[in-house]
Amino acid sequence: MIQWSAFLLFSLLAIASGMGVVLLPNPVYVILSLLSALVAVAGIFFVAGAELVGALQLLIYAVAVTVFYVFVLTAVPWEKALKKDSHFRVEGVLSFPILLLLYFEMLIVFLLGVSVSPKGKIRELSKQIGNTEVIGGILFSKYFLVFELVSLVLLIGMIGAVVIGRKEAQTYEDHTP
Amino acid sequence: MKTIPLEAYMAVSIILFGLGVFGTIVRRNLITVLMSTELALNAVNVAFVGADYHLGLADGQVFALFIIALAAAEAAVGLGIVISIFRLRRVESTDEITDMRD
Repeated sequence: MIQWSAFLLFSLLAIASGMGVVLLPNPVYVILSLLSALVAVAGIFFVAGAELVGALQLLIYAVAVTVFYVFVLTAVPWEKALKKDSHFRVEGVLSFPILLLLYFEMLIVFLLGVSVSPKGKIRELSKQIGNTEVIGGILFSKYFLVFELVSLVLLIGMIGAVVIGRKEAQTYEDHTP
Repeated sequence: MKTIPLEAYMAVSIILFGLGVFGTIVRRNLITVLMSTELALNAVNVAFVGADYHLGLADGQVFALFIIALAAAEAAVGLGIVISIFRLRRVESTDEITDMRD
């Protein structure tokens, strides 16, 4: 019962904050609402028993990535963007039936795939030794190559961000008519 | 105690993912477009963790960790591109960046 109430609280908070991310005009309100959505999703992870993923969600997403977005928002002067309209309203109205179609399609796919049989072979082990140990065991045995590849992707992303965001010695000429 | 079914996690995930996709379509500012993609990635994480809880496995949580790492890399590169676009062209609205179109 308390699990259901916590799940409903966090999921309603996540959906309301997600609507805030899509609908609010000001970018600062959008980043605050995204932060609220990330914390609510971390709450859903805790309800589902994934303590390690929830804690890393709080640490990486809700702290590091959000602060990074706030830094970029302060670095880019967006007074010009505030003068214009914050949404493509005509395109939004036109693409809203496609969004409903996407919802419908995902519901159909899920209802066809709901007959997956539950295996539950790690649940007992997870009760014995805890969530973090189970994830660490799988991560460093079965998915070790993927782990190394993800670290490589992070390194390349860091190099790419430095190369892209660095100040050029000369700016390129604008030849567009 | 009755546990939460997979359908509830999937419903939250589907709604959040649709909101993220709709935000990438309808938003005008580049940074908010990136924030909407973060929302969609989080929705996929909710689906992974919910399916994990239902199946009693731990593989989906490992993939959720990988998705968090890739989202951090994506935020770094995407915001670098946004800053360099703003520095070179002085625009940050998505309909003013037409260099590759004309």
